[in-house]
Amino acid sequence: MELNDFVAHFAEQFEDTDTTNFTGETDFRDNDEWSSLIGLSIIAMVDEVYDVVLKGDDIKNSKIIKDVYDIVCSRL
Amino acid sequence: MEENLMLSNYGVTLHRLTHDKIEMLRQWRNDPKIQQYMFYKEYITPEMQERWFASLDPHCDYYYIIEYKGKEVGCVNIRAIDWETKTGEPGIFIYDDDCLNSDVGARANLCLKDFIWNELKLETLTIEVVRTNKRALKINRALGYHEIPLQPGDPEDKVRMIMTREDALKPNKLFDRLRKIFNQ
Repeated sequence: MELNDFVAHFAEQFEDTDTTNFTGETDFRDNDEWSSLIGLSIIAMVDEVYDVVLKGDDIKNSKIIKDVYDIVCSRL
Repeated sequence: MEENLMLSNYGVTLHRLTHDKIEMLRQWRNDPKIQQYMFYKEYITPEMQERWFASLDPHCDYYYIIEYKGKEVGCVNIRAIDWETKTGEPGIFIYDDDCLNSDVGARANLCLKDFIWNELKLETLTIEVVRTNKRALKINRALGYHEIPLQPGDPEDKVRMIMTREDALKPNKLFDRLRKIFNQ
């Protein structure tokens, strides 16, 4: 699993935010759009694309996109 | 209020509101972080809360305290059920800071919706959302609600939304997947 691919999938969950500069180091809450709905969309995306189950706490305890990526990698 | 005392699914347990919890609920409801998204923004006194609780009809107003991981974290409800038209007005708020902007609201929402469609067998749900509550508008659209015109006398900051049983039965890629995930 490539980090860049994961970041791209992650960014697809945002509709109103300019995600062109998203990287693994991006603080994904540092925008006006972040909400529980996007968190839910990420949980669903990870299940669909990577067949890994994330919990709400996994998102809550993560700060940057790579934190989530690392959790997914650890469960592959 | 002895009917449907407890609903449990998707990792949450919903406990039907009992008198011993109304003071906790009042304190939650008066907190500015909750109050800002309510249409009624006046301070609620203990007396007002007692009158409100006494006014609830056990067959038409179902209020539940949301329990998640052994902690009481918020409130979800279906109220003002009209059994002739099979309509009702659901609502939810999450008080606990650890559960705000998390998946707990969705878990409680799905648990209540199953009860509404499968047990109460209602046909239509209507909600009113404060227009500035963009997050609530977005998540309600994702759940399947759509906007309907305001009624005469409605304040400008109100958005009325509706969801029918037919809407609810349509495939919903996000929430159908979350149902599966939340039960793992």
